[in-house]
Amino acid sequence: METGKPIGRTVKKKFMAALCAGLLALGGMVTVFGMTGTAFALPLGGMGDFYVQFDKLEGSGFQLLPQVGETGDSDASPMVRNKIEEATVYNLHIYKDLKLPTGKWIRINIKGTEPTKIKGLIQDARFIEANLQFNNLGIHEQNTNDYTKNWTQTADTVTITNAKIVTDYLFQTMVNLQGAKISIESIDQPETTESP
Amino acid sequence: MGDAAAKAEKKQERLEKARAKLEKRLEKLENAGKFKAWRSRRPFWGATFSVLAGLLILYIPIQLYAIAFVPGSFAFIGLLFGVLVLILGVLSYIFPQFSTVLGVITMFLSILSIMGALGGFLLGTILGLIGGALCIGWEEHVIAPDANGPDQMNRPDKGEKAKTNLIDTSEVASSSSSS
Repeated sequence: METGKPIGRTVKKKFMAALCAGLLALGGMVTVFGMTGTAFALPLGGMGDFYVQFDKLEGSGFQLLPQVGETGDSDASPMVRNKIEEATVYNLHIYKDLKLPTGKWIRINIKGTEPTKIKGLIQDARFIEANLQFNNLGIHEQNTNDYTKNWTQTADTVTITNAKIVTDYLFQTMVNLQGAKISIESIDQPETTESP
Repeated sequence: MGDAAAKAEKKQERLEKARAKLEKRLEKLENAGKFKAWRSRRPFWGATFSVLAGLLILYIPIQLYAIAFVPGSFAFIGLLFGVLVLILGVLSYIFPQFSTVLGVITMFLSILSIMGALGGFLLGTILGLIGGALCIGWEEHVIAPDANGPDQMNRPDKGEKAKTNLIDTSEVASSSSSS
């Protein structure tokens, strides 16, 4: 018996129904995240220096490690890696200066008007200007060629006030940015901070 | 009575149209190359979009490789979702008969990839949704070489029906009305 020749085709009705269902599910998920101001695994990096300013940070599970990373000017620049398991930041302000093709400079601002809750914070900083207060601070040295393990500083809790941090990489496992305000302003010159 | 006759006539017309369309495509394929023939037997575009979506979803966790490989971190979950979408896309090429199931899972994982991989800057999620929907919408039909009417058109992935080439006008009607 001859079986015939198989040929495939897309049924538009089925395709549209599946696509609509998928887009609805996506819309629902984005709406839930948008309403709670929650973002998962938010990375910021690979774009050079940006500035992080805040009035107060209360964190637990603090760890400070030496790090070599990429900045806007160099492939390998010395910096410190801050790791905080859970943190609450008051009056957070993140900004980045960018040069437009026309030669003018603009500043992109992200401000959190309400306390920002972060889980699993990893931040590579080139310059830190702040008042720091630690609880159960410990410094640990290890005789190893691995520079990231050679020296570590740990603390149960940390409180940072009036901070200005030049950051090159920021990662948050989960961030709850309530009352976020994003704005762009034009500036005359970009901000530069040189390490002393 | 008249209404029923008109409906049946319309149905017949639709079936004939669908069959003519498929036959035309089949004719074209007879003279086409091997790749075109291979492509016509599987949800090619659905699978391709799924593979592209998998690669895009993988982009962010790979950028975060320093922490992505730590089990339990959200970036690790993103990595897992990206790899799974990529594998599902490849499987759609190999096993076209499971295209509906593979499409549903691709869509589900593409949406979930927002956690851990930001959905490949959302572009990966959108491509995954389109790819998954194309896989769901894809159907394979068998055209009997000496068939005279629309009744000879059938779907081979329906087991017994395909083997015996039974009439399944409802299915053909639904597929032709959408085209």
